Parts: sequence; C-alpha cells; structure tokens
Amino acid sequence: MSELATLARPYAAAVFKRAKETDSTEKWSQHLAFMSAVLINEDISVVVDNPNVTKQGLTALMLDICQGQIDSEGENFLKLLIHNNRLALVSAIAGLFEVYKADDEGYVDVEVSTAYAFSEEAQRDFVATLEKMLSKKVHITEIVDKSLIGGVLVRAGDQVIDGSIRGQLQQMQKALQ
Amino acid sequence: MQLNPSEISDLIKKKIENFDLSAEAHTEGTVVSVTDGIVRVHGLSQAMQGEMLEFPGNTFGMALNLERDSVGAVVLGSYQHISEGDTVKCTGKILEVPVGEALLGRVVDALGNPIDGKGAIDTNETSPIEKIAPGVIARQSVDQPVQLGLKSIDAMIPVGRGQRELIIGDRQTGKTAIAVDAIINQKGTGIKCIYVAIGQKRSSIANVVRKLEEHGAMAHTIIVAASASESAALQFIAPYTGCSMGEFFRDRGEDALIIYDDLTKQAWAYRQVSLLLRRPPGREAYPGDVFYLHSRLLERASRINADEVEKLTGGKVKGKTGSLTALPIIETQGGDVSAFVPTNVISITDGQIFLESNLFNSGIRPAVNAGLSVSRVGGAAQTKIIKKLGGGTRLDLAQYRELAAFAQFASDLDESTRKQIERGQRVTELMKQNQYSPMSVAQMAVSLFAANEGFLDGVEVNKVLDFEAALQLYMKSEHAELMDNINATGDFSNEISSGIRAAIETFIKTHSW
Repeated sequence: MSELATLARPYAAAVFKRAKETDSTEKWSQHLAFMSAVLINEDISVVVDNPNVTKQGLTALMLDICQGQIDSEGENFLKLLIHNNRLALVSAIAGLFEVYKADDEGYVDVEVSTAYAFSEEAQRDFVATLEKMLSKKVHITEIVDKSLIGGVLVRAGDQVIDGSIRGQLQQMQKALQ
Repeated sequence: MQLNPSEISDLIKKKIENFDLSAEAHTEGTVVSVTDGIVRVHGLSQAMQGEMLEFPGNTFGMALNLERDSVGAVVLGSYQHISEGDTVKCTGKILEVPVGEALLGRVVDALGNPIDGKGAIDTNETSPIEKIAPGVIARQSVDQPVQLGLKSIDAMIPVGRGQRELIIGDRQTGKTAIAVDAIINQKGTGIKCIYVAIGQKRSSIANVVRKLEEHGAMAHTIIVAASASESAALQFIAPYTGCSMGEFFRDRGEDALIIYDDLTKQAWAYRQVSLLLRRPPGREAYPGDVFYLHSRLLERASRINADEVEKLTGGKVKGKTGSLTALPIIETQGGDVSAFVPTNVISITDGQIFLESNLFNSGIRPAVNAGLSVSRVGGAAQTKIIKKLGGGTRLDLAQYRELAAFAQFASDLDESTRKQIERGQRVTELMKQNQYSPMSVAQMAVSLFAANEGFLDGVEVNKVLDFEAALQLYMKSEHAELMDNINATGDFSNEISSGIRAAIETFIKTHSW
C-alpha cells in the first residue's frame, strides 16, 4: 500500500498542478472519482489485469467507457497511465489528489460518529468548535453509531478524539486491570 | 492478605471515583501487513521513533521505521492475533518498564512483567528503556573496586565500579560461571545485581536462578529474561530494560552491577528485526547501526558524581556517588575475536576477560588467559593489598608463558630459568578456583602472599590447591582478627605483611596438607 502511494505521488502532484493552472480542481476531482469507480468494477479489473489485452485495446475500451464523463485532458491522462502500465494506481492517485486539494483549500474532512443524531443547531456549534480547535475549515460527515452509547467520536485524518461513553468505559477497563 | 467482597468493591469504587474521565485524543493507523512480528502501519503521521504503539488485545509494539506513508513496528510479544485492517494507536510515550527496589529478588521479562509466579511487582515508578548516557560533567573516574571473588580476575584484571569489562570466550568456557560468581560475591556489599539473559534456554535461566537462590544471592538480584523462545524484538530490548533498572540504583547514589548474557544473541535478534524491516544489510548481514546498538547500551554503565546524584534525587541523597558496572558477555565462534560483533564490543569496553577452551579443558578454571585479558581502568580501583600482591602474579605468569615451551627440558636448564618455570606452574595452579566459592580480599591476599614470597616453591605442583585450602582453614581459625583487619581496611602495611608471614611460617611448620 505504501509502495502504491509512492508510485502514485508524482502523478497526483502533476494532475493537481495542472488542475490549479486551469482552475479546474473540482472537475478533475470528479474525473478521478469516476475513473476509480470504473476500475473497481470486477469485469473491468479482469480486463485491466489480463496480459492478453493490448495497450491499444485497453485504451480504446477505457476511452469508450469514459466518453462524455471526462474531457480531452482526462483522456490524455488515461492514455498516459495505460502507456506507463500504471492504470492500477488510479484510486491511489484519486486519494492523494483529494489530500492535496483539501490541503490547498484549507479544510479537513472530519467524520463525526454520535450515538444520537445532532440537531441542526448543535451541529453548527460543534463544527464551529472543531474549526477553532483544528484551525481549519471542516467538512463534516455524520454517522450515527448506537454502540458509542453516548458522546461523540471525531476522526480527522489519522487524528482521533474519543469523547464517547464507550471510549471512557474502555479507558476505565484499562485503568482497573 | 485476605479481602472480603465488600472491601474489594470499596477499593474498586475508590478507584472509579479517582478515575480521571476525559476525552482521549490520539493518532490512529491501520495495519497493512504483518510479517514475522513486523507490522507495517498506514497512518500514524505523528509517531515518534521508538514510540510505544497499542495494538488490539492489550498488545504493544515499538515504532522503529518511520517512512513517508507508513510506520514499521515490531510487536513485543505474540503477534498471531493481529491482522490486516486492525487499528493501531499512538501512546505518545517511549517504551517504559517498571523500576525500583521492589524488583529485587524477582524474575521479569523484557517488559518488566513478573514471570516467577510471585505476584504483581509493587512499584509505581517506571523509566524509559532508551536513555541518553550521563554527560562528561556528570561523571566521576572509577576508583572503587567491584570484587568478583575470583583470585585470577581480582588480582590480574581488576574491575572498578562504573567500569565496563567484557567477558569473552567460546561456548563452554565458563563465561556465565564467572558472572554468577560475581553476583554471589556481591552479597552483603550493597551492590545490586541485574542479570539479563538473552536468547538462552529456559532451563539455563532456571538453573542460574536456582543457584543464586541456593547461595542467598537472589535478595539483591533482578533477573531479566528474554529466552530463546521469545520474539526477537524482546531479545533485542531486554538489555535496555535491564540497564534502566540498574540506572535507577545508580541515579540514587547506590552501586549496581549488570551482566548481559550475552550480547552476541542480542545482535542476532537485532539483525533479524532489521532485515525484516528491510534495512540494508552490511558486514555479516548486520545492519549499519550495530555498533551504536552496543555503544549506546554500554555507555550508560558509568560512575556519576555526588552533585549529579543530588540533582537527580532532588537533594534527597547528598555526598554519594552512584555507579553502574557492566559485564557484557560475548560468545566467539572458534576463538575468532576478529569477527564483527566481538571487535566492536572489545573496542567499546574498558577491557576484557578472555576465556580459552584449551585452558578450560586442561583443568584451569576459570579459564582466564592472563596474557590477552586486560583491564584498562580497574588498576586505579584495585584494593591496595591486592594491587601490591597481585602485580607479582601477573609477572610470574608472563615470564612462565615465555619459558613454558622449555618446561620439558627442565634438567638441561639453568637454575634461574628452572625456578621461573616452577614458580609459574605453581602460580597457574593457584589461580584455579572452584565455582560458587568466591574469596574475600583477605583470603586472596594470603594466597597471593604465599605465592609471591616463595612459600609455594616447596610444595609439589599437584598439592598447591590442597596447601591453599589447608592454609585458608588455618588462617580462618587461628588468625581471624588479622583477616578481619585486612578485609576492613584493604591496606598493606609492614605490620600486616609480617603478620601474614609469621602465620604462614607457623602453618608450614605445624601442619600437613
């Protein structure tokens, strides 16, 4: 996995630079998301991994599938990946692209798990507090998880803030051991 | 102590009352791969080198490789239950082990957990396993002896408090025997001992523990055991664990002695971990930092001055120096001291006790090669009387070695050469000593005096040890006061010299052996 990220990093950086130049990060984000969605499909991945399929054949197939969904620059990118035998990296590139994008626009994707759904007002308050704490804009994804019993569990990247009753019980269990 | 159920629930209630509930913030990662105890973790961007990582199932690991997208960690203990996708938490702490007086008399594993079935260890203090050695300003030169209780070593290769003296030799040359005798001889001296067993058979470790118990030496000893069946990671950290436990005593102005048995196996374990972490192999497939592995460990054995002790204890202990003496053990293959790890450790330590298998097999035990063994700083620390009397021994043996080849032509040799050979044979014989029978300073002084002054020259070579035993018995029963005096002061005056001389002369006249 880490090796994939190393290979994908220059591609993602290049795509992001181009997207910034042409002011089309949103469009590229959609392009990459679409491409990785296509490649996750089992029928497609069989074809991609099949050494009998020529590069020309694969290029034609991919361009056909993506027709209408991606623009000419996107098509060029696909051709480049196929030429370099790096089609399998698309999802890693998409992931890294999102990281660069979030970094550049100064927001973080935060996953908030709660035992009970927030009211609209509470959520606004909570987001404001989080933004102050992380000193970044926050894009929130809410998940309701009854097993937390109460409280909230916040995940921002690999940072975790555990303020749930479940987490406290686990802490207590460790302390009593 | 028997507790009734209501008391137990009261205790738990109190613990819960005092429990500090707060939102816990930490960094999390995901296990990507598990291979032979090495775990690759994605995420954990905040991890520190050497940080303790928490795996599911109350298992801990140590971060060793910090890479761009992942962290390479070793699992400390069993790793069978860890699988791809498990979450790993940073703890924000460098690996710590319990330290304190309560560990004395106990057998613990490389993480400080008791494995002797005597219950929990009653200590709240912990200490990180990796610490920076005391600086130049904090140190004091070595000038007090550690008596190992072995004539040949205390007379010729003295060890001082805070010294690092390597014990090196092939397998089956009595390396561990010297270490165990050294521990036994510290009974009643106030020197705390730590015996770190690395990569040994469990049966050997059990034997050492039993022997120490039999000789009443467990009360001042901690055993840190990372046996051959434990993971390479534990074998790799065990010496650092033991060192932290020893530093606790050093930093409180006490004296401690630590034995690493043996560092060859630790280097093997570290090589395994490093290769699995895909670090590039170097000479003999060891990683590039195998010198640092041992140098940073042995550098922590030191003597620190009274000011430093006062600073470390917050003014509680004043006017006392602290020391940690290290006796690392290295096993050579076929007497090859020029292999990678032996040369490294020889260059790090302040001298070595060199044991040889042909000496061992010819009955000279301890099988110390007096020519190749040296102590670079111990001379300054040696007890006065032993220093005075032991110097002659070293010279006698050196001269004997030069001439030993001619020993079989004894009848054709001139008078002085023959005398030197005969003296050498007797001194070699006198240097033999049984296991588990350490000698006091006074006992050694009497034996060395007898050799130096030529009292042994009239004794047949094969009777030397009998002569010595009878003489010691006589001195103990008839001249206890003189012996106590020597043990107490360690000085060598004319009065003591003439006292010993008179005693030996009377013994020779009146006793048989």
